[in-house]
Amino acid sequence: MLENIRYFILRAVRNMRQWPLLCTAAILTMAVALATVATFFLIVVNIEQLAQSWTKEIQVIAYLDKAVPPREISKTIEKLKKIPEVATVAYVSPEAALQRFRRRLGNDSSLLQGISRNLLPASFELGLHPDFRHQQGVEKVVRQLENSIDIEDLRYGQGWLERFNAFVDMLRFVGMILGGFLLFAALFIVSNTIKLTLYARRDELEIMALVGATMRFIKVPFLLEGALQGVLGGLLSLVFLAVVFKFILEQSIQSFWLTPADFQLLFLTLNQQITLVVGGMALGLLGSLASLRKFVRI
Amino acid sequence: MIQLFNVTKSYGGDSAAVKDLSLQIPKGDFIYVTGASGAGKTTFLRMLYAAEKPTRGQILINGQNITRFRSHQIPHLRRKIGVVFQDFKLLQSRTVYENVAFALEAQGKKRYEVSKKVYQALKEVGLEHRLQRKPLELSGGEQQRIAIARALVVDPLILLADEPSGNLDQDVTHEIMELFKNANARGTTVLLATHDHSLHQRFPRRVITLDKGKLVSDQQAHLS
Repeated sequence: MLENIRYFILRAVRNMRQWPLLCTAAILTMAVALATVATFFLIVVNIEQLAQSWTKEIQVIAYLDKAVPPREISKTIEKLKKIPEVATVAYVSPEAALQRFRRRLGNDSSLLQGISRNLLPASFELGLHPDFRHQQGVEKVVRQLENSIDIEDLRYGQGWLERFNAFVDMLRFVGMILGGFLLFAALFIVSNTIKLTLYARRDELEIMALVGATMRFIKVPFLLEGALQGVLGGLLSLVFLAVVFKFILEQSIQSFWLTPADFQLLFLTLNQQITLVVGGMALGLLGSLASLRKFVRI
Repeated sequence: MIQLFNVTKSYGGDSAAVKDLSLQIPKGDFIYVTGASGAGKTTFLRMLYAAEKPTRGQILINGQNITRFRSHQIPHLRRKIGVVFQDFKLLQSRTVYENVAFALEAQGKKRYEVSKKVYQALKEVGLEHRLQRKPLELSGGEQQRIAIARALVVDPLILLADEPSGNLDQDVTHEIMELFKNANARGTTVLLATHDHSLHQRFPRRVITLDKGKLVSDQQAHLS
């Protein structure tokens, strides 16, 4: 048994050395296929991350009928903080609102001269925990707010949130369709390359069968070879991705106008990197298995 | 002992490659299979090592009906049969040693046994000094001797040779015939398909002649 395993591994390695061109072609094809799929995955993950970073701006503003007396402010803040979805609560008095408005007007702030200090309503500004920065989360907060304090009006960017949700849904949908298509194309190209490499070696398969090699004896070294090429293809695609990520993407992302200043591009996690290499192995193994079925006849 | 009973092989269409062939070949026999191109010689040999299945009839080798073999039994049959081709069918990417060793490795033989037997087989065909060469670096005659070494290294019960001298000159053919005769002298049954009449005139043995797939003559050798 051990002798057999040793033979199969040696045979697979020797085969690769005896057919360097075919072996390189198979490894490169798998590397390109895997890198394409992984690049696409990275793009989708990072766009989603970028979209999530925009949601930091999501907040619920509750405008009040009348200003809260100073001694009740902290009590109300504590009450609002008990809403599970809420992370931060800030009270904005009519004076503070007017000051803010004045600052925003800048040079035109003189327009506000002579206007009552209570022109703008008092409000509570509620920041949300990251997990609840979506339409459902906001709606929950709004429902609880309505039950707990007297509110004149609520603002939470309803239209923006709806558009944002539609955008994230579309991103996921397009990601799945394109990702599925890319994966299928990668499988197709890899299995055809392996088929071609086996076609070039069909004499070898025929002679093996002729001297009395069993199906297992013929197939195992080819399968091992396919798996080994897949692992090498996976590692190569990982190196390629890392280089492109480090020297091109990370450098150019900061000049992208939609990127927030503190935005960090995500690379594949360790688990995803392992998945890529294992995926390469599976690709090589399945590609060889499918092609061998066609070429090995006893 | 090889026995054929009313064996027919057709590939569809009107004419059959082999028609109603019945034959007995005792163990240790040496037989020439002759006939013009397309007479059915190759199909006949291919059926003996189970590369083709007869359309009708039965083939028995040492009492086993190989026409009823399932695919997993075929490798075990082939380990008892050595086959030599006109185009040698060597693995060009492997060395002479690896080409011959492969037949033993396929049978799961141990490494020390493989190297010992390969060396002996190559010595027998006079190529033990070419171990690490690739087939393409050798002459046609040398390549055919390697193919014969590969066929004989497993000590086959039967040796099938399909036009083994087709691409070779007279001197090399003579050397190769000596190798077949030596194998036969050790008890291996030899079937040699050829359309070269001079071969059985120089090395007379039993001759069966096929014509359009039919057995038209079966002559015992008149050894003088």
